[in-house]
Amino acid sequence: MAYTDKNKLRVVYGDYTLGVHGEGFDYIFSYSQGGLESVVKNGYEWLYRCPRPTFWRALTDNDRGSRFHIKSGSWLASDMFIDCKKTEVIMDGELQKQYAPDNNSYGGDVAAGEIIVKYTYETVSNPATTVIVSYTIDVTGNIKVDVDYTGVKGLPELPVFGMRFIMPTLADKYMYKGLSGETYPDRKAGAEKGIYEVSDLSLTPYLVPQECGMRMDTEWLEITRHTSLNNSRTDSSPQTLRIEKNDKTFAFSCLPYTASEVENATHHEELPPARRTVLCVYGAVRGVGGIDSWGSDVEDDYRISAEKDIHYSFIIR
Amino acid sequence: MNADMKWLDNPEVFRVNQLDAHSDHCYYMDYTDMEKSDNPLTQSLNGQWEFAFSKNVMDRPENFYEENFDASSFDKIMVPGHIELAGYDKIRYINTMYQWEGKEYHRGAYSMGSTGDEAGMFSEAEYNPVGSYIKRFDLSEQMRKKKIRICFEGVEEAMYLWLNGQFVGYAEDSFTPSEFDLTPFIREKGNVLAVQVHKMSTAAFLEDQDFFRFFGIFRNVTLKAVPEVHLEDVWFQPTLNKDNASGRVSVKIKVTAPEGKKVAAHFVLKDRENNQVAEDNITLEEKDGSLVGVMDTEVGSVKAWDNHCPYLYHAYVELRGEDGEILEIIPYDIGFRRLEMIDKVIYLNGKRLVITGVNRHEWSAKTGRSISMDEMTADIDCMIRNNINAVRTCHYPDQIPWYYLCDKAGIYVMAETNMESHGTFQKLGTIEPSCSIPCSIPQWRAAVVDRARSNFETFKNHTAILFWSLGNESYAGDDIEAMNTYFKEKQDGRFVHYESSFYDRNYEETISDVESRMYAKPYEVEEYLNNNPKKPYLLCEYMHDMGNSMGGLGTYMKLIDKYEMYHGGFIWDFIDQALLVKDEVTGKEVLRYGGDFDDKPSDYEFSGNGIVFADRKEKPAMQEVRYYYGLYR
Repeated sequence: MAYTDKNKLRVVYGDYTLGVHGEGFDYIFSYSQGGLESVVKNGYEWLYRCPRPTFWRALTDNDRGSRFHIKSGSWLASDMFIDCKKTEVIMDGELQKQYAPDNNSYGGDVAAGEIIVKYTYETVSNPATTVIVSYTIDVTGNIKVDVDYTGVKGLPELPVFGMRFIMPTLADKYMYKGLSGETYPDRKAGAEKGIYEVSDLSLTPYLVPQECGMRMDTEWLEITRHTSLNNSRTDSSPQTLRIEKNDKTFAFSCLPYTASEVENATHHEELPPARRTVLCVYGAVRGVGGIDSWGSDVEDDYRISAEKDIHYSFIIR
Repeated sequence: MNADMKWLDNPEVFRVNQLDAHSDHCYYMDYTDMEKSDNPLTQSLNGQWEFAFSKNVMDRPENFYEENFDASSFDKIMVPGHIELAGYDKIRYINTMYQWEGKEYHRGAYSMGSTGDEAGMFSEAEYNPVGSYIKRFDLSEQMRKKKIRICFEGVEEAMYLWLNGQFVGYAEDSFTPSEFDLTPFIREKGNVLAVQVHKMSTAAFLEDQDFFRFFGIFRNVTLKAVPEVHLEDVWFQPTLNKDNASGRVSVKIKVTAPEGKKVAAHFVLKDRENNQVAEDNITLEEKDGSLVGVMDTEVGSVKAWDNHCPYLYHAYVELRGEDGEILEIIPYDIGFRRLEMIDKVIYLNGKRLVITGVNRHEWSAKTGRSISMDEMTADIDCMIRNNINAVRTCHYPDQIPWYYLCDKAGIYVMAETNMESHGTFQKLGTIEPSCSIPCSIPQWRAAVVDRARSNFETFKNHTAILFWSLGNESYAGDDIEAMNTYFKEKQDGRFVHYESSFYDRNYEETISDVESRMYAKPYEVEEYLNNNPKKPYLLCEYMHDMGNSMGGLGTYMKLIDKYEMYHGGFIWDFIDQALLVKDEVTGKEVLRYGGDFDDKPSDYEFSGNGIVFADRKEKPAMQEVRYYYGLYR
């Protein structure tokens, strides 16, 4: 069906997915994959796999020294394996019955003013906890992402908390408005606010590959790619995806590898060729510490309790 | 005298026929020579040498120093350089462990009741590699008919020297110059110099620094022609008066000359624009076979030297004969400053001293601890760019040019003696000094005091040096105390630093002018300063910048505002120690660290703690250092 009403979203109630479309954007929310499966802007795909909550940043040497991995290592498993327990669709304020055979009742494309898709994830940690990721799409195609972590007593401190987006191909560059250089909650006094462009996504060459590339206090971020996995795409023009703060600034890193890939390498040459873009948008980041590398923990203010709730949000444009 | 391999085992033998340590001044025959880029009185022996590697003393080519020795089976090696990096012995990185860990049971000679002189520990060891070096040379024309000395600026870790088949001398202490007189054996042409270098000797116990373990001739080798009348030693002591506007300078000199020769010394001081601001004359007097004298001169108006304005004056000592003819000229750039401790607070030129410092190992990813002038100047530039105002030469004296660069750049220096015996008293992270070296063992005392002497005598004229450091992590005891006494007796106005006084408070008064700690947490610094502190406080190592680190620097910096007696500290450390090698899989150049050379046991990546990467690129954390150090320097 041709798109006709710019003031409405075109919603497709499929059997496996929910399609949300508008002028210049096409989003697919998957029930089977348990997440946002496709973000297409102007015909160009931005996702390789569904975004997931992330609980792990690669260890630093200081983390190893303070035995943070022994205390909090179980978060690595939660980062790698997570269960999607529930998917809810809310259209114009109404909770929908999106699964077959109830979806037969929609009878065709549906026009909506606002769609919310809410995924509830349960961690494999012991005790388990839940994360609710809620995507709110307005008629302009903006996706507001609200992320809610439920604190549970007995869970060890978190290295980070955020959302991980894996893009199909390596980005050319990114631009952001925030702090200069690589910053952490306990290492950002020397940074200057400004707009910065980063065209080399490679890991910072610490002797042992480890957490790197964090940018705190970010207002917005634009990632530019021109390559695609789409065999029929003939255009190679650069495309840009923009992430904006919602109420508060966010932290992010944009690298070619996931934390667990980085964790596995003792040298940079052991990492596979850089082929994807791993964007993590964080609501909470642990500091790196610095007193010593054999026992001292990060200062109290820069550690993340997993026993308290964490909420943050951002917007994908 | 003949060389004796048993010297390797004996802590009481550490220098044989070595010339006395002396100031690191250059000398010229006249002002024209001084303008030349190459001093005609020196001849470098750097370059290709003949070389043979042996795994121990027994396997060495014993007679290789003989003139008619057939060296056709020898390889070629570049000097300076490390033998391991030339591919002979295994590259190895370890921290506190000794090289024999898990392979041989060793306790230092006389270190416990049950140990004796431990004869044979190194001379008969199955593993104690030997490098046999041969250099054939002719003396350059300008050098002929003069007394000839040879200076090895750095040989790790023990060396025997022969010239033309004759034994010349023996040296330990890898990081200070070792000079020998070659005059009795030298020829104009066809000289055969032979150096036998040992990876380990008793010096190994004193050189347990946390670094790659190398051996070989790794710094310059230079022949020096000595004029008939020669200034052996000079000690400039410029001081800034309380008014911060005038000063005085004392110049103490020691000259060798033919017997009965009358020599006068003329001292001239010029500012940067070459205006003469002071001069003095003295006729030298004979004492103990040398000619000596002291000049003490007022300088009416001087600019002070400090980190913000490192103003250096050009000092000259001219040695003149009876007819006033110039026999030798010594130029040296000196700065006027005043160091004081008032009410347990250190002041430089009347201002409280705040150290925004860093520890620096000499390091190159390609050549290890054999580094170039370009790398040194790059390090100075990096320090200036990032508001670093002080450097601790951890944990040994650096190459001589480094101190001149620091004078010029206004980088304060904590000049550390080549000394670390960490592995003898710290085991698995706990302090366990049952067989600590040197401790209070009499047989080790002379060796460690000699290390202090070499450090002091060589570098005493460098304005940038504010602290002498006895070494690093060598526990406490009478021997360390004797090093402190040596420095204090010089009364040069500088302070003596040693970290380990807190190990044994009995030595608190006698081994350091400052309370120095490493890696004390901010609250521990405050604990000391809030409880009747006896001394000003500094952190000789803090902010361990291993990998992605430097979080929380601000907490330490705020202590500078809170406590007058807290003087800041030296970040650990400047540059990642890692080696650039070819990846065995991809063929690309990659950085490797401990354990990457089948070297076990190892301390792996623990050598990567720099604020710059091994290729000297700044780590992301540098902007934090630049910011905070900029607020306080």
